[in-house]
Amino acid sequence: MEQIAPHFVELAASNVVGLLLIGFVGGLVSGFIGSGGAFVLTPAMMSIGVPAVVAVASNICHKFPKALVGAYKRHQFGQVDVKLGLVMSASAAAGVWVGADVQNAIKESFGEAGSNLYVSLAFVIVLVLVGSFVLHDAIGSLRSDARGAQEVTSRLARWVQSIEIPYTMMHFKTSNVRVSALFTIPLGFATGMLAATIAVGGFIGVPGMIYVLGAPALVASATELVIAFVMGLGGTIKYALHGLVDIRLALILLAGSLFGVQLGAIGTTYVKPYVIKLVMAAIMLIVAVSRGLVAPVYLAQLGVIDLGGAMMRWLPMLSFAFMVLALCVGGFIIAGAMLRGHRAMLLQGKPQAVEIK
Amino acid sequence: MTKGDLYLKLGVSGAISASLYFLLYFYEREILESFTQTDGLYPALPIIAAFVFSFAHGAFTAYFWEALGVTPRRPEA
Repeated sequence: MEQIAPHFVELAASNVVGLLLIGFVGGLVSGFIGSGGAFVLTPAMMSIGVPAVVAVASNICHKFPKALVGAYKRHQFGQVDVKLGLVMSASAAAGVWVGADVQNAIKESFGEAGSNLYVSLAFVIVLVLVGSFVLHDAIGSLRSDARGAQEVTSRLARWVQSIEIPYTMMHFKTSNVRVSALFTIPLGFATGMLAATIAVGGFIGVPGMIYVLGAPALVASATELVIAFVMGLGGTIKYALHGLVDIRLALILLAGSLFGVQLGAIGTTYVKPYVIKLVMAAIMLIVAVSRGLVAPVYLAQLGVIDLGGAMMRWLPMLSFAFMVLALCVGGFIIAGAMLRGHRAMLLQGKPQAVEIK
Repeated sequence: MTKGDLYLKLGVSGAISASLYFLLYFYEREILESFTQTDGLYPALPIIAAFVFSFAHGAFTAYFWEALGVTPRRPEA
């Protein structure tokens, strides 16, 4: 039997089923909060023997069609701000470029372990800071929602919107926001930088659009799918030019994730905006724990600390388990919120039809 | 859209999606060989495939949830 190239693994049926399932949950989370799933899909592929670079390339090749379908679906519900998405994507592309260069420079200076440590620290610092803030706001929103209050624009966003800088002002209709491009550019850039570093730019992009620009949570999470599509397409072109995309993996993930992304997108029409923030915060904080657990392994590889052999084996496994847990927790909150929303709709009587634009 | 139309669309998009995945399964080696070449227009193949599958399978998954009664609803104002 003819052998395939060594960096393209033979796929067992159990691996295919595993990728379909993980693709489905990743798609569900992406359709709901605009990003997520990538952080667990790449390590999941690596765990079945796929080399890291092929796993990243195949993941990104599955990401852009998934984001396209999710963005189209949520555009039908009137949630996507295409203009904001494209403006953010332009500077995100520059962020990806610089982020990849920083990553390469660290790899050249400190080796693979140094690069992994940098990625883990970026994960922990960004996710703990942003995740705690989002969680705090989600809890506040939950309380104000119980009192019947509407989603409020943050103080920072109100300040950003009040700054008038001639020739740079842009109006984003769906978000109902008028801000200077001088604020959207750094935000998009940071999203791209994070995407190049930890593969999930949305963990900066979505909270940034909500708390810095003042976009509603539903619009921010939907608009992130436009950014994910543009960045994913660009990344796929880059990897395809080097022949690194394993199309089988990408399409198997897509088979599961398109079911998930449609369901996640539909789910957003059943829930209050704070649920989106809650899912995002829960995932971010659990992933931060996951990456924090594996940081000592990289420190030991760099010779900074000493770890026993058992710890060197167990910590990465525990870290992966926490990543899967993050995805599952996100999936359960979404499913639970959708079921509660559906039940409430049935109690109220006939469902309100969604206006398809 | 009537129930009949929905099931017809579900069946057609499902058949197209399944055919594409069967082709991927039966011609796995040939596809992998061509899709990883780096000269000429070969690098465009994974991108074209991703778009084709997203349209075919995306349509099927949309009709699938609709047929199951999982349809969108506007959140309360």
